[in-house]
Amino acid sequence: TWGGFYVVGAYKMSDSAESPTETQKEEIHPPPDDSATNDDKKKIDVLLKAVGDTPIMKTKKWAVDKGRTVQSLAQFISRFLKLDATEQLFIYVNQSFAPSPDQEVGVLFDCFGSDGKLVLHYCKSQAWG
Amino acid sequence: MSCGVLDEEEFSRCCQLLLHHSDSVGDGWSWEAVQSSDEGYLKKTVLRSVPADQSITQKHKESGSDSEQFDYCRFKTEEQGVNGSADSLRPDVEDEDDCVCRAPGGSSCSSVLQFEYHVLYSCSYRTPVLYFRASTLEGRSLTLEDVWNSVHPNYRLGLQSRPLDAITQQEHPFLGQAFFFLHPCRTEEFMKPLLQMTWDQNRPVNYVLSWLSVVGPMVGLDVSLDYVTLQQPTV
Repeated sequence: TWGGFYVVGAYKMSDSAESPTETQKEEIHPPPDDSATNDDKKKIDVLLKAVGDTPIMKTKKWAVDKGRTVQSLAQFISRFLKLDATEQLFIYVNQSFAPSPDQEVGVLFDCFGSDGKLVLHYCKSQAWG
Repeated sequence: MSCGVLDEEEFSRCCQLLLHHSDSVGDGWSWEAVQSSDEGYLKKTVLRSVPADQSITQKHKESGSDSEQFDYCRFKTEEQGVNGSADSLRPDVEDEDDCVCRAPGGSSCSSVLQFEYHVLYSCSYRTPVLYFRASTLEGRSLTLEDVWNSVHPNYRLGLQSRPLDAITQQEHPFLGQAFFFLHPCRTEEFMKPLLQMTWDQNRPVNYVLSWLSVVGPMVGLDVSLDYVTLQQPTV
């Protein structure tokens, strides 16, 4: 067995995600940051698509801060899906490429966004056993 | 490509495509042929500066800005050519000050390490495998613990929780020297749904590139977005 690499499951999950509501599109709010500038508040639309046996998120469309990293988003999704610590979550752009966890979603949007949104595929994998 | 694995011919083909792009942007990958045959592996050498006092602490923050997590900087060896834009610098990553090499004896960038990454084909797993080794510029090989101290903080916890399974020391199949390697036993499993998705969408994919984009960042190997954003011929 292999410990895997995305430590998403091993970290304490972020508490910054808001509880989902019934609206079409949700926002992912970072914790209060008094150094936020106008740029930090810009959000991009992200459409999350499940791959393989990964559970499908009830809410697929999210407005995400441009500066949010892939790692941060992966943690959010893991928490949303209630993945346990033995499950790792991967995120892909262009359906085939895993961006660096430190990559900002805003950059991904600039590179891969179309029709005003960034499509990201996510996939969980059993890391243990 | 099917069922999450690939045969050696496909591996070679994928590597050549990756090399084609690497050559065009000076990303530093090379192909090491084995005994003048078609067999071989990809190789890349990178210099990284690691703070000597970098401890194994969780540096993750939950805010949107994660740039403060990067407190080491990287730069390329001379052999790879000088093409600053080829490095996969991300605008958020480093505080610019940290990218400037401080004078020897400076408090932050106190050790420069050379990392060598090799991508080989595993006949038994039918997947690529990532071998790597690291040494100081004086030639001292890094221990496994040293390697872990230089792994990005985001990955350390996960890797160290299953140390025997994730990174182990292994004899390089061609060089006969001690390398570290990322165990390939999970590769098929995470590649399979990815490949299935691309097949369903009739979308061409470079297995080696996709795989490398997943495993590379774990051990400090950047795979630039431009491998995907610049149009590439496909397998």
